[in-house]
Amino acid sequence: MSSSLEKNMLILRSSDGEEFIVPEVVAVMSKAIKNMVEDECASNTIPVPNVDANILAMVIEFCKKHDESEAEAASDLKTFDSEFVNRGQEALYDLITAANFRDVKELLDALCQNVAEMIKGKSVHHIRIQFLGYQLFEILTSNFIWNIWCDRDFD
Amino acid sequence: MGDGFKIKLRRRADRKCVHGCGRSHIAPESSPSPSPSPSPSPSPSALSQQSCWANLPRELLLDIIHRIEVSQTLWPLRRDVVACAAVCRSWRETTKEVVRTPEQCGLLTFPISLKQPGPRDSLIQCFIKRERATSIYRLYLGLSPALSGDASKLLLAARKVRRVTNTDILISLAADDFSRASDTYIGKLRSNFLGTKLIIYDSQPPCDHAIQSNGRSHRKVYSKQQLSCRGPAGNYKVATISYELNVLRTRGPRRMMCTMHSIPISAIQEGGTAPTPSTFGTCFDEPFSPLLVSKGKNLVKFGFGSPAEPFESVHDTRDPLILKNKAPRWHEQLQCWCLNFKGRVTVASVKNFQLVAAVEAHQNVPAAEQEKVILQFGKIGKDIFTMDYCYPLSAFQAFAICLSSFDTKPACE
Repeated sequence: MSSSLEKNMLILRSSDGEEFIVPEVVAVMSKAIKNMVEDECASNTIPVPNVDANILAMVIEFCKKHDESEAEAASDLKTFDSEFVNRGQEALYDLITAANFRDVKELLDALCQNVAEMIKGKSVHHIRIQFLGYQLFEILTSNFIWNIWCDRDFD
Repeated sequence: MGDGFKIKLRRRADRKCVHGCGRSHIAPESSPSPSPSPSPSPSPSALSQQSCWANLPRELLLDIIHRIEVSQTLWPLRRDVVACAAVCRSWRETTKEVVRTPEQCGLLTFPISLKQPGPRDSLIQCFIKRERATSIYRLYLGLSPALSGDASKLLLAARKVRRVTNTDILISLAADDFSRASDTYIGKLRSNFLGTKLIIYDSQPPCDHAIQSNGRSHRKVYSKQQLSCRGPAGNYKVATISYELNVLRTRGPRRMMCTMHSIPISAIQEGGTAPTPSTFGTCFDEPFSPLLVSKGKNLVKFGFGSPAEPFESVHDTRDPLILKNKAPRWHEQLQCWCLNFKGRVTVASVKNFQLVAAVEAHQNVPAAEQEKVILQFGKIGKDIFTMDYCYPLSAFQAFAICLSSFDTKPACE
């Protein structure tokens, strides 16, 4: 298969074995992959461990869009980003770790910004449930004073 | 009095609840905190997909909290930053790493910001509202009540209590709890009978430069003191304010002098720093701020100064900072004493003042520092005053100095 591969195309293999044929310019938006390509330590097929097909497809979609639309208006890209990151908790977490691990800066930026927006205006109780689950409740000192300081319940 | 009692009762009830509802993972704490409020309970779906985020790499959490910190700079939005620090220990440590001191960023974030020095190049602008009926003074962040509206951030409140031989002004973080036993009590101002000499007391011990510069290694030595200091609030002398007696009863501005025992003169010398407490000295879950560790430049001098250096020069840097009135000018046309408040004060009052550092030639303080107004206070309306302060004073110290001006002083006018 690799012999018939067009020039400047790479194959990315997800952790569960699915393969994606991706233009090199798109794949190298991941710094980690870029380094591998530059070091020429990669054959045509690049394994992407820790990232399953589902998430890898999303990351590729994001990178493709960003690659294509370099000429497009920045505002269009912004809308795309905000729609793209608007996902369920679990997908969001998998995406953010994948983006971090593969070092895809644009995606990581969009995701971190999205999580920051999710936290803004929320109660501590809400943040704990959303981000830590319900099992963890240390009582931290100074929360009593912070409640008064912020005129809000932080416990 | 009634309020303080009520709060105590409530907290006892809360603590009972914490122990009573059988959450075995809650460790008892030295400082009582109210139990979780009856917030909306989590939906089952939230419960099932819990905690994948708990393993979020630290650098990502840092990135996310940083994004919140830079966008939420105004109160009440800045509550979000405090909320992040209240989530759990690792979030708290990460948030503290992101949030800089008021000296570095000009913003107030945590209550401890009130005891940290203000910014060096700008003034933090606040206003004080006086409630005559109750003798309560409240300090808000913002330009004026008209501009910041009801959403103004309350920073501190103070209540005047007259005693037989003196007057106490108790300062609290809460709008209406002035009980000394409360966690919100942070200090007081005590004046003598005439109101000519006042002393500012802090409820927590001074944070010593030496402790900071040596960082963690010295912490153990002080941990005993830290343990004990959350009992009844202490009385640690921060400053002495004296008003000059006006024996001749001539009309004119008051003359005051503030000796800041807690701030060395070296704070305003080149490369100097002012003491910056990183916590209310209460607890062990508060990380020691790494920012402070690298700051004791002037201390290096202490330690490694050549032995030939005269003793006085070492002594000088330890001298307390002294603040004095900026002398007003007599305005011939208006026939009054004038100070330039740059639009922040609009009503003539004997209480208005600007403070600058009082330095002697041998103290080596740059000329710009000598000219700089460190604290200004003045009237803008009935029972409304502005208070602008900057480095090396903290909001608490600045507020206490301004409160001294409210104490009536028949002998000084």
